[in-house]
Amino acid sequence: MTREPNFDELIGTEETGAERERLRHAHELLLQAGPPPELPPSLQKAPNFGVFSLHHRRVVKRRTLVLLAAALSIAVVFVAGYAVGNNRGGSSTAKGETPRLLALTGTQAAPNARATLAVWHARNGNWPMRLSVVGLPKLPGHTYYEVYLVRNGKPWGQCGAFRIARSSPDTLTLTFNAPYSLQKGDSWVVTRPNPSGAEPGQTVLRAVTA
Amino acid sequence: MEIALEVPQPRLRAVPAETAHEPPDASDSSDAELLARVGERDRDAFEILYGRYVRPVFSLALRRLGDRGHAEDAVQEAFAAIWRSASTYRPERGAAGGWLYTVARNAIVDRLRRNGPPTDTELPELASGEPGPAQQAEDAEVSWRVHRALEEIEPREREVIELAYWSGMSQSEVAEYLGLPLGTVKTRTRSGLAKLAEVLEGEVL
Repeated sequence: MTREPNFDELIGTEETGAERERLRHAHELLLQAGPPPELPPSLQKAPNFGVFSLHHRRVVKRRTLVLLAAALSIAVVFVAGYAVGNNRGGSSTAKGETPRLLALTGTQAAPNARATLAVWHARNGNWPMRLSVVGLPKLPGHTYYEVYLVRNGKPWGQCGAFRIARSSPDTLTLTFNAPYSLQKGDSWVVTRPNPSGAEPGQTVLRAVTA
Repeated sequence: MEIALEVPQPRLRAVPAETAHEPPDASDSSDAELLARVGERDRDAFEILYGRYVRPVFSLALRRLGDRGHAEDAVQEAFAAIWRSASTYRPERGAAGGWLYTVARNAIVDRLRRNGPPTDTELPELASGEPGPAQQAEDAEVSWRVHRALEEIEPREREVIELAYWSGMSQSEVAEYLGLPLGTVKTRTRSGLAKLAEVLEGEVL
């Protein structure tokens, strides 16, 4: 059994009057609060939400653009719907592993938009993802798009955000992360802010379904 | 025959070497100043703010969600919300600590809703001995304030306070454990408690 610290033993008798009462109040709050929790390794470092301002991005080389466009075309044909398999199944973290691909298509809110999302196997509980997107319009002000993990048909967990700037290349490639335990049937959408400010926002890109 | 002894292990955080005299988080910026910088997508400011608040947010999430995995997710979501919404913070409307508390609490409540009702829906036959919602809310708020304030005091003072309050050790045992004179432990405890009281008094939620 843990002994409770005794205020008089801790502070002694030097402090008196108002100062002693001030210390006693802090002492009582410490007892009421209890110990702070041990931080798990996943929370030791501040997360990187992968927000990119295209003003700071280097222009993607033409060769890369061609490759991305090819990958996009292949993915649209290759993938119809996407379901993440059993997350315990992915043990390979070797370089050069093949990611799973999800094709996203624009909703009525962004009919010209399309994208591919590549998801690699988890590393230490994090699922690296790369989104290649074309055809999304620039949003007003400082607002930005958000990438959401969809679970049970609803946006469930945020994986990152990005902006489109006037100077952005046709195909924008961004790196994100899903710090969640992925489950069978999970998918992703891209949203833009709702005028009301409610979250998640309006879906502009969703997975292609069969 | 092997005998397993249950010895309470004090939980310690890294404390700078004896010669170092750095401020707790290498920044004198106020929370409001940091939030303004985060609103402009300043990654360094975000990391300082994260260091100050990750423990209180995790503590709050654990209290509300009762599950470490869900609490970890909730912390990520809370800081994602802070990153996204920092530019909407207006100092004239209230203290930064209160704004951060609200954003974190909302993210945790959202997570609670998404998790759905508990799987065990049977009603208990006896009244629960646990505190009611009002008391739980007050406890959560006190825990937030205290854990946040602990991040403000010198690491050496924080260390002796954490040992004195939550390791079960007496001050003599703390002194022996840290290899310090008893007088030094007593001085650090007193000055740490005084600083903590000062931070708590100046804090508005």
